[in-house]
Amino acid sequence: MMELRIILLIVIGLIAIWFGWRVFRTDSMVRSAFSLLASMVAVGAMFLVMEAEFLGVLQIMMMGTEMSIMAIFMMMYMMDPGGLGEMDMTHQEKPSIIVAVIFGGISLAVILLTKWGDIIAEAPTPAQQNHDLGIEVMKRSMMIFESAGFSILTAMVAALATALIIHNNQIEKN
Amino acid sequence: MSTILTWIAIGLLFAAGVYFVALLEQWSLQGYFDWAAPFNAFLRSFGQEEIRTRRYDTVFYEATPVIFIAVVLLAVAILPFARETVILDLGTAALFINAALVYIMVSLIMAGWSANGVYGMIGGWRAMAQLIAYSMAVVMAITAAVMRAESMAMTPIIQSQASLWNIFYQPVGFLLFYGAVMAIAFLPPFDLPTAEGELAGGAWAEFTGARKTLFRLGRLLLILTLSLAVTIFFLGGWLGPWLPGFVWTFIKTTLVAASFFWVGRYFPRIRHDHLLEWGWKYAVPAALFNILQVGIVLLL
Repeated sequence: MMELRIILLIVIGLIAIWFGWRVFRTDSMVRSAFSLLASMVAVGAMFLVMEAEFLGVLQIMMMGTEMSIMAIFMMMYMMDPGGLGEMDMTHQEKPSIIVAVIFGGISLAVILLTKWGDIIAEAPTPAQQNHDLGIEVMKRSMMIFESAGFSILTAMVAALATALIIHNNQIEKN
Repeated sequence: MSTILTWIAIGLLFAAGVYFVALLEQWSLQGYFDWAAPFNAFLRSFGQEEIRTRRYDTVFYEATPVIFIAVVLLAVAILPFARETVILDLGTAALFINAALVYIMVSLIMAGWSANGVYGMIGGWRAMAQLIAYSMAVVMAITAAVMRAESMAMTPIIQSQASLWNIFYQPVGFLLFYGAVMAIAFLPPFDLPTAEGELAGGAWAEFTGARKTLFRLGRLLLILTLSLAVTIFFLGGWLGPWLPGFVWTFIKTTLVAASFFWVGRYFPRIRHDHLLEWGWKYAVPAALFNILQVGIVLLL
């Protein structure tokens, strides 16, 4: 069972990497955004294989909306009907390769040098995981989550405020 | 043995439910019941010419109808028809149904964009605007139902309603969920993504034949699935006297599905900016009030 799970994890991981690579190999922003979505869904599926049900489902849910919103913003800036824009998805190739190598190396070092502890044979049930996560969010990590939420809200309000055209303290009506 | 029989009965009832929804859809457009119409439409689609637009995106165009129907089937799989009669018993089912239904919107965007047509593209992006309007109402209404059950699994959510159904326990949540669910299934008055008569079919405008049939079938399944979700979250699922659990589930589900079409007949199509305005200015505060009310009642 464990072997099967690891094989499945590797296969889904490779799918995630393949879609991640496709992001830069298409010629359209929308295809690129949805390739990223497919990659993220594959990561969500990896969580599900690792029996982290809540995280997996949350990842799949959030990314669906987020990547679509990203796609519409790209469309608004660049127009791309039917993917006929023939855009190049790569730019600043040398710096990006350098950055990718450095951060890839750092991530690899973190993965290899961290003491992960023993593999747990039996994961807690999904209900228990949800319960533990809830307690974590409401106790130790409450401050982090609250400040993150508040920062996002502030950013949203600030973005709206800068986007509105205001003359003489009045919002211009179209 | 009896489990197999129950599943066969559920399968037949589900198929009958899809037929019933197809009839209702026809009725909501024409005002009378045409009993043969769903079969005729189904058969006709196989004889229809497969029209493709110029320079469409092959992968998206072919994949979207399949994604649409697959997502709905995933959502059905986690909903229980009766006690211990569920295909996939997830611990986070209440979240999973949300996750699955987000991809209805993704599929509509892919459909609208890939066909390389104006109406389709507008329809597709409207689907997203609609999601932004209703998603908070859906999630927060479910949150309140989950709070009462103290679990995200479906069975405890239904069992928590044994003394009082959620429709009476949290009426505000029910109204929000009911409206939002109609918007998920883009039923009138929320049929912005397809908008017959305005966008000529919107996201589906360029689809014909087998692909269109998959979409239409998926839509019928979607309506039935969402009625089932309303039944489970707010109408006590299989709870009811005398009859077997799954019969109660189907009675409630079909009544909810019928009510969708009945309500839709009395409202004009909402404008998308009004929908967003109502979603954020009124539905979000109402949903927060609902959570507060449930929280207070639970603590008392």
